[in-house]
Amino acid sequence: MATTKVPEVRDITRIERIGAHSHIRGLGLDDALEPRQVSQGMVGQLASRRAAGVILEMIKDGHIAGRAVLIAGQPGTGKTAIAMGIAQSLGPDTPFTAMAGSEIFSLEMSKTEALSQAFRKAIGVRIKEETEIIEGEVVEIQIDRPATGTGAKVGKLTLKTTEMETIYDLGNKMIDSLSKEKVQAGDVITIDKATGKISKLGRSFTRARDYDAMGAQTQFVQCPEGELQKRKEVVHTVSLHEIDVINSRTQGFLALFSGDTGEIKSEVREQINAKVCEWREEGKAEIIPGVLFIDEVHMLDMECFSFLNRALESDLSPVLIMATNRGITRIRGTNYQSPHGIPIDLLDRLLIIATSPYTEKETKQILKIRCEEEDVELSEEAHTVLTRIGMETSLRYAIQLISTAGLVCRKRKGTEVQVEDIKRVYSLFLDEARSSQYMKEYQDSFLFNETQTPSMDTS
Amino acid sequence: MAVQSWTDILKFSKKTALIHDGKRKIHYLFTDGKEMSEEYDLKTDELIVRKWRHKSTLGAQSQWQVEVGEPLAGPDTSLDSEVIKENCSNPLLMRKDTKTSFQWRIRNLPYPKEVFSVSVEPSDRCIIVKTSNKKYYKKFNVTDLDRNELPLDNSALSFSHANNTLIVSYKKPKEILTLEQELLKELKKLKGTDEGDVDCKTQ
Repeated sequence: MATTKVPEVRDITRIERIGAHSHIRGLGLDDALEPRQVSQGMVGQLASRRAAGVILEMIKDGHIAGRAVLIAGQPGTGKTAIAMGIAQSLGPDTPFTAMAGSEIFSLEMSKTEALSQAFRKAIGVRIKEETEIIEGEVVEIQIDRPATGTGAKVGKLTLKTTEMETIYDLGNKMIDSLSKEKVQAGDVITIDKATGKISKLGRSFTRARDYDAMGAQTQFVQCPEGELQKRKEVVHTVSLHEIDVINSRTQGFLALFSGDTGEIKSEVREQINAKVCEWREEGKAEIIPGVLFIDEVHMLDMECFSFLNRALESDLSPVLIMATNRGITRIRGTNYQSPHGIPIDLLDRLLIIATSPYTEKETKQILKIRCEEEDVELSEEAHTVLTRIGMETSLRYAIQLISTAGLVCRKRKGTEVQVEDIKRVYSLFLDEARSSQYMKEYQDSFLFNETQTPSMDTS
Repeated sequence: MAVQSWTDILKFSKKTALIHDGKRKIHYLFTDGKEMSEEYDLKTDELIVRKWRHKSTLGAQSQWQVEVGEPLAGPDTSLDSEVIKENCSNPLLMRKDTKTSFQWRIRNLPYPKEVFSVSVEPSDRCIIVKTSNKKYYKKFNVTDLDRNELPLDNSALSFSHANNTLIVSYKKPKEILTLEQELLKELKKLKGTDEGDVDCKTQ
């Protein structure tokens, strides 16, 4: 029995990959917006977290449109982490769009189009729509896997109400989500016919007497009545951009000839703005202003900045959060120097949150959190050594060493990372400072070093 | 008068006619953006197909929804197979009218006639098909009567069962018969291009 179960388990449990900021679960503030020293994956940066908390409240209220915030600080001081923290605390219903400054440079789309699309992705509209749902009690669920182990699975699902019974054919996606939800005979479920979203309502009363191990939270419900398929009004959130896309498709046979350039006409946008305002006045829809986060904002050029100036004045504009690690530098597309590489007139509209470098104690704390996240056990001495490395080189480099040291430790069949493991990976992988040093020393033996000679300057 | 309003809606709609394949095809575009398409047999003047299409709240064009005639089986049905769809062995309801009555055929119902009970539910304005073995249940509206706001009458309803098919008939009331005749007269006046392409204005 156990052997037959193995492939099924592999189907269901997806391995979540660990990203650079997957330990962030919120901003780590208490109800009075006071930051806790260590909470929800956040360490230190008390002042900037508190500032971010104030911004968060402003976003949650949703009354103020078109405010912009800049998070500025040295590399590796938690700018993106703060933005992620805001995203996590907003919850799934508020749109949060994250992009990097360099994403807008594309050959298929103009820069301003890419920016307007990003702006409109960050505005949600909550609206009622009618969808077709299937609601019934599961009589039988049958999934056939091909004997070879590869290929499409075939499934059948029999559902009933008090009045009728219907057999459904299942697609691959549906089979996966049914097994993920652990749907079995006797469950009462609803399925959204268009999207295939399943929700379990509970177990049928007729199955209540079955001897079965079930959790205390199992709910018993009546078997649904009448027809299996019903039309129901559901409330859901779509972004303005999604409405744009739906309405900008060329209709009829002309769609065959027009390639999808990805650009949306401004007339379409205006029509939709008018329509959404109309819905809002009639009480049919609700506008949820979200957050647009632009990382590495110094990568934007002059045209984008002047577009932002204008776009922030629209009343259908989200709260804009930007992050940069530059000091006084050239504004892209001009020869002017400016703080953060952002023109002064835009800077004037921003609230600026500064992040400061971490102290040794904070670095140690962050490393500890990352060790837990990456499932690596560190001995006390190794932890101290790693903190030193983090202070002297960079926090990012120290974080990189965690999982590599973990691997080295596992290869020598150890359970806890020791100082030797850290030393070993420290000698294997160079940090930025040592690498630069090495370059300087061995400059001459690298390829293409002759480009430095003045003879190549003729071009 | 209520009957008037539907005829008015029909009158003010933009109609395009086309004669093709021995069928008179008419496309209606209503003022609220809904579209209706009808096909009549040229010889018998019977309604073969009537389908509807309307825009969703967000503005997306939905698929054609068949009110009368064979359901569409196009490439779009196989596209949905990623998710969920009815097995082909399930009962299938389609409407196919005759001159004097609305008629619904439900295929794939291999049960004896005694199992079925068909009744009119005046409060919900619908016809209900029930089975005593709890295998099939269907509620459906008589859309033509709804549009003209005419009452439903139990005595006009009858049903029969043969070849795994349940046939439910509802006698068309006088008002509908006269309306249909008038409409047909009107439609015949419409200049449909014979066989071939509709004039397509080049831009």
